[in-house]
Amino acid sequence: MNIYKKWFWPLVMPSLLLFAMVILYPFIMGMVNSFLAWRGTYYFDPETGTRATNMANSFVGLDNYKEAFRDKRFVSSLVYTVKYTFIAVIMVNVAALALALMVTKITRSSGLYRTIFFLPNMLGGLALGFIWQFIFQIIFTDMLFSPDALHIPFFRYMTQDSTKALFALALLNTWQYAGYMMIIYVAGLNNISSDYYEAASIDGSSYWHSFFKITIPMLMPSFTIVFFMTLANSFKLLDQNVALTDGEFGTRMLAMQILRTIKDTSPPNYGKAQAQAVIFFVLVAVITLTQVAITKKKELEM
Amino acid sequence: MKKSLVVLLVVLLALSASLFAQGTSEASKGYDIYVYNSKGENATQFAAMCAAYEAETGVKVKNFSIGSGQDHMETLRSEMNSRNKPTVFSIQGIKELAEWSQGGFALDLNTVTTGDFGKMVSAIPQSLRLTNDGKTSYGVPYNVEGYGYIVDRGILAELFGPSNVDAVTADIKSATYPEWEALVKALDAWITSAKATTVTLSGKTYTLASSKGSLTSNLNGVFAVMGAEKWTYGDHFINVALNAVFTNELDANKADAAKVQSAKGALLAYAKALDLKTSYLAGLKGKAVRGQDFVSSANFGYDQVVQIFADNKAIFFKQGNWAFGNIAGVNAEQAQRLEFLPVKMPFQNQDIKRNDGMTVAMLNSSIPVFVPNFYAVNAMASKAEQQKAFDFLYWMNNSKTGKKFITEDFAFIPYNADPKTTTVPNSLGNSIIGYIASGHIIGAPYNGSPASWSGDTVGLRVMENYLTKKTWTNDDYSAIADYAIQKWIEMK
Repeated sequence: MNIYKKWFWPLVMPSLLLFAMVILYPFIMGMVNSFLAWRGTYYFDPETGTRATNMANSFVGLDNYKEAFRDKRFVSSLVYTVKYTFIAVIMVNVAALALALMVTKITRSSGLYRTIFFLPNMLGGLALGFIWQFIFQIIFTDMLFSPDALHIPFFRYMTQDSTKALFALALLNTWQYAGYMMIIYVAGLNNISSDYYEAASIDGSSYWHSFFKITIPMLMPSFTIVFFMTLANSFKLLDQNVALTDGEFGTRMLAMQILRTIKDTSPPNYGKAQAQAVIFFVLVAVITLTQVAITKKKELEM
Repeated sequence: MKKSLVVLLVVLLALSASLFAQGTSEASKGYDIYVYNSKGENATQFAAMCAAYEAETGVKVKNFSIGSGQDHMETLRSEMNSRNKPTVFSIQGIKELAEWSQGGFALDLNTVTTGDFGKMVSAIPQSLRLTNDGKTSYGVPYNVEGYGYIVDRGILAELFGPSNVDAVTADIKSATYPEWEALVKALDAWITSAKATTVTLSGKTYTLASSKGSLTSNLNGVFAVMGAEKWTYGDHFINVALNAVFTNELDANKADAAKVQSAKGALLAYAKALDLKTSYLAGLKGKAVRGQDFVSSANFGYDQVVQIFADNKAIFFKQGNWAFGNIAGVNAEQAQRLEFLPVKMPFQNQDIKRNDGMTVAMLNSSIPVFVPNFYAVNAMASKAEQQKAFDFLYWMNNSKTGKKFITEDFAFIPYNADPKTTTVPNSLGNSIIGYIASGHIIGAPYNGSPASWSGDTVGLRVMENYLTKKTWTNDDYSAIADYAIQKWIEMK
C-alpha cells in the first residue's frame, strides 16, 4: 500500500476539521443570518416585535440587502473603497517591481536590502496605522512640508481630507506590502533565463525595449499572484483605516462600514451587517476571479 | 474521492454545528453566580470585592472584568451566546437596554417585591432608574458620575486672591451667561498681559491680580479642549443643551419630530457656547486657535489635553470625574485642588421646553450628574441563581464591607449615598457630592437620542466642518442646530 494513501486522511483531518469549524461553518451561518433579523444574541421577530421563538419566524427575505443598498454610508464607502483600490494597486505594484529590479541588479548585500524592504510587513495593521498617524500629523504636517520647510500643502493634514487620505492610506500600504510583493517579483525575475537578454542585446535591443518585450511578458505569472493579493488586500483593508483616520472626513471603507453598522444601530442590526458582508464577499470574489482569468490568459507557456 | 469529500465535509459541518450549539449542564459550572463587570478600570478591586463576598457568605462568585478601554459589548454578547451566561451583567443606559430587553435577557427588577432586595429596588429614585417606559426598572446603578468645567482652586487663588476663592467659586457657579462670557474675555486679556481689571460675577465685583503668580505664569489660554475627541463636544457638551428640552433619557427617547424641532433654540445656544469655548484655547506650545491642528489627535487628543490642563496652561477644562486619575497621574498636587463649575450656555427663557419648572438660571448653575452603568440580572438564569444575584447586589450596596469597596476602593459615588455624610477620596467626586447636596444637578438626555447621533454624527460634523474653521458666523450656528435636528429625525 502506498504510504501517501495510508497517511492521507490522518494528516488532512486536523486541518479539514479546523477549516470546517472556523471558516466553513461561520461562512454558511453568515449566509443564513443575512436573511434573518439577527441581533447578535437573539433573533428578532418582526411580526410580534419581540424575540423570535424560532429562526424561521425571523426570516426577512431580502430586506437586509435592500436596507444595505439604501444606506448612504454603505454606498459611499463602496465608492471610496473602489477608488482606494485603484490607487493602491498601482502604487504597490510599481514600488514592488522597482524594488525587485533593484535588488536583482545589485550584486553586493542584496540580501540585506531584501530584508529591510520586507521588514514593514512584519508589523500589524493597527500599529502601522498609529505610526503613520504620527508621521502624517507631526512629521509631514509640522516638519517636512510645513511653511518653514518644503511647504507642499498637499502633504499637510493628509488625514483630514477624503481625497488626500486616499493617498495617505495608499502610501502606508505601499510601505507595508511593497517588500512582500517584491519577494514574489524577485522569484519571477530569477526565473527568466539571461539567454533572452543576451540574445536581445546582440540584436541591439535597448534596456526599456527588453523590459517591455521580455521582462513583462515573462513575469506574467508573478503579476497574476501580486495583482490578486493587492486587489484583495486593498478591498479588505480595515485595521489601517481604523487606526489612521477612523473613518473621519469621509474615509470610511467597506470593511469598517460593516464593523460599524452594529454600532450605528440599536438594537445592533447584525443581519444588515451580515448582508453587507455577503455583498462584500461576492464583490471581492467576482473582481479577483475576473482579474486572475485575464492575467492568466496573458501568461506565456514556455 | 470527490463524493467522499463532500460527505466528509457535511459530517464535519454537523460536528462543528453541534459544538457551537448550546446545551445546559448546570452541574459543570463551578460557580454559584457569574458577575460581568464592564468597567475595566476597577478590575482588581472588583475581584477583591467578590473574594470578600465569597469569604463572608460562602457563595462562589465568578467575576469577569473587561480590559480598560476594550469594547465591552462584543465581549458581553459572546458571553451571552455561550453556555454559561453571566448572572449579573452591565447595561450602559437606555441605548443598550433596547437590545437586552428585546432579547429577553434583562429582568425587570420591579417584579421582585419581596426581601431586602425588593425593598432596595423600590427605593431607587425614579430619576436614577433604567427604564424604557417609565414603569419598568432594569438595573441597579453602578454609581453616579458628573462633569463640568474643572478648575484648579490654586489658579483661582492667584487670580482673585486666596481669601476670595470660596466666594468667587460660588459666584461663578451662579453667574449668568453674559457675566461668564465677560469673565472669559477678561481672563484671556489678563493672560496676554496681567492687569488689575475688574469682573462682575453674580452681581458682585472682583478685581483680578495685577501680576502673575507661580501657577498663572504658565497659562496660555482660557480653555483646554480636546478637539480630536468627538464625544467631548458631541456627547457631553451637547447634553447640557438637551437638558433645556428633555426631562430625562426616556423623554428624549420618546420624542416626536415636533419635539425635536423645538430644540432649535437650545442647540443654537450650544453652538454659541462652543464657539466661545473654542475661541480661547490653550495649547501644548502656547495659545492655540481653531484650525486643522486643533482636530489632530497628535496635538489635541485626550492625553495631550490632560497634559495641557495639568501643566496649568489652561484655566477651565470640561471633563468628568473619571479624568481624575489621568490628571493625578500628571500633576498629583493639582489633583487635590480641583472643583467643578457648571457649563453655561446663552439660553433664552423660550428655549426651555420642559414643563417641570426648569429655568435658565437653574440650567446654568447645575452640572450633569447621571448613572453611567447599571447592574442587570439575567432573566435567562434559574430562579435560584437569580436569588443569589439579588443577595449579592444587596450586600454590595448595603453592607459595611460592600459600601467600603464602592467608595474607598472604586472611588465611586454611590447612587444611594447620603450627600451630607458621604465623602470619596478624590476632589472631583466630592465636588459632585456638593452639587447633589444643593440639588443643582441636571441629567443625561443625550443617552436617549438615536444610536450614534450625538458623537458620531453631530460631533463628527462639528469637528470636520467647524472646529477647523477660524471664525463662525450666525449662519454657522444655525447650520449646526439644523443639522443636529435633521439627523435626529432621520435616524430615529
